[in-house]
Amino acid sequence: MDDIAIIGYAQSPSQRRAELTEPQFLFPVISEAIERANVERRDIGFTCAGSCDYLSGQTFAFVMNLEAVGAWPPISESHVEMDGAWALYEAWVRLQHGDIDVALAFGSGKSSPGDPSEIYPLQLDPYTLTPLGADPVSMAALQARAMLDKGTITEQEMAEIAVRSRTNAANNPYAQVRGSGDVDTLLREPYVTAPLRRHDLPPISDGASAVVLATADKARAVCERPVWIRGIDHRIEPHQPGMRDLTESISTRQAGRHAGIDHGPVEVAELSATFSHQEKLLREALGLGDEVQVNPSGGALAANPVMAVGLARIAEAARAISERGVSRALAHATSGQCLQQNLVCVLEGA
Amino acid sequence: MTPAATEPDDDNSVKMMDYFMQLEYREPLCPVVRRYADQLLEGRLIGHQCPSCGLVYLPPRGYCPICVVETTDADETVLSDRGTVTNYTVVTPVQYYGQHETEPFVRASVTLDGGNATMNLQDLVDVPVDEVRVGMRVAAVWKPKGERSVADISNRSWGSAEGCIDGWRPTGEPDAPAEQFLGKATF
Ligand SMILES: [Zn+2]
Repeated sequence: MDDIAIIGYAQSPSQRRAELTEPQFLFPVISEAIERANVERRDIGFTCAGSCDYLSGQTFAFVMNLEAVGAWPPISESHVEMDGAWALYEAWVRLQHGDIDVALAFGSGKSSPGDPSEIYPLQLDPYTLTPLGADPVSMAALQARAMLDKGTITEQEMAEIAVRSRTNAANNPYAQVRGSGDVDTLLREPYVTAPLRRHDLPPISDGASAVVLATADKARAVCERPVWIRGIDHRIEPHQPGMRDLTESISTRQAGRHAGIDHGPVEVAELSATFSHQEKLLREALGLGDEVQVNPSGGALAANPVMAVGLARIAEAARAISERGVSRALAHATSGQCLQQNLVCVLEGA
Repeated sequence: MTPAATEPDDDNSVKMMDYFMQLEYREPLCPVVRRYADQLLEGRLIGHQCPSCGLVYLPPRGYCPICVVETTDADETVLSDRGTVTNYTVVTPVQYYGQHETEPFVRASVTLDGGNATMNLQDLVDVPVDEVRVGMRVAAVWKPKGERSVADISNRSWGSAEGCIDGWRPTGEPDAPAEQFLGKATF
């Protein structure tokens, strides 16, 4: 595979209820990513978007989002009903063809108009799980309970993860949940859905993210410090959660191995751990030791714009390399209930 | 959400299961559409005119997707409530559940005087279906001020004004030349 580089990225602030429409808040994000990439809009040979019509409550909502890219002249574009991280994967594959040298990937979602506990059960088995109203918080609670029963995590550790995420988020202008009480204070809070407390849950967020990719020659020509994608892979486990061991993430481990995590030391990991316990599970699946800085941005517990949050992890990992001098980082994105599908991307500065 | 199993058969196995679902979405109007709605209640049609290409967007979107520039209150323009039928469709209603129309009716595109701004899917009033034609001059029939409603306007329904305008009535002026409009895209 040819090396592809990230040459630009941008995010919107994550908000509980965006006043603007999805195309409106996407608009400045895409413009900023292109500007930072030091390319012109007409240089982009392929565009791929990630969004979800169910979130928007409108068929073909993703078509409106294209207005933020520019409606004229016609462009070559595609869409995934997935997080923008998978849009980036498609753009990365597209660049491998070698006939174009710049691609744009973006993700956006406006969760605020709907009720996530009503929407997400609809992506599950329609006979046995959807009628139960198996919402993401209940599913994640089952997963956390399984981990607690197995002894692979404690409620104390879950609170520590939340405190660290919220503390890290204090310096992230895009974060929604910033600053935190200490672990003891959090553990005195009541359960939302046992064994999960408020701090174990992600916020409900509206937001967008965008990343510009380029082939090696183009990246070197326009960018002082390209961030190289050394490996990217995604894997899927069975749809039915009852067929999986929820206390581990085989698909993350496989994706990590195929993305080449162990070809060098990882300094920073941006993980889409949407619930606190999932961070520990992902750390183990990816073999990340205590020396790895996990979610310096605050991660998904601090901002969870569904369909943009995974691509935001890639943008944050790229930022760690291009702005903070980190030499090797990884980003993780997830989709489905209880980490059903996972994508791992390994990034390097040189 | 109310799953309901039908009566089990003799062998006690469930053969069929009804499952009713509905999703509710509530999205407050974004500022530019809120402003559009407030002005409709006052009997004014407003749009944003792109400072770069001059195209008018009704309702305002807050940007021009052609030029990829943002538009603001400074780009607001009050539009005429008179215009020309630039396209139309005769709809012959089939009596499916929820269909209240019984006779053929027209849904027309009306391009407002003074620019490109076009309102689509508009009702025409006081004109027989077979007399509708491209080029026909029309004027908005506003509801009385106290009866106007913007309850049906959402961020997604570009151009909707039906809670405030009953439809468009022919003015009796001579037609505008149809060839000026045929075969052209409208915004
Ligand atoms: Zn324009």
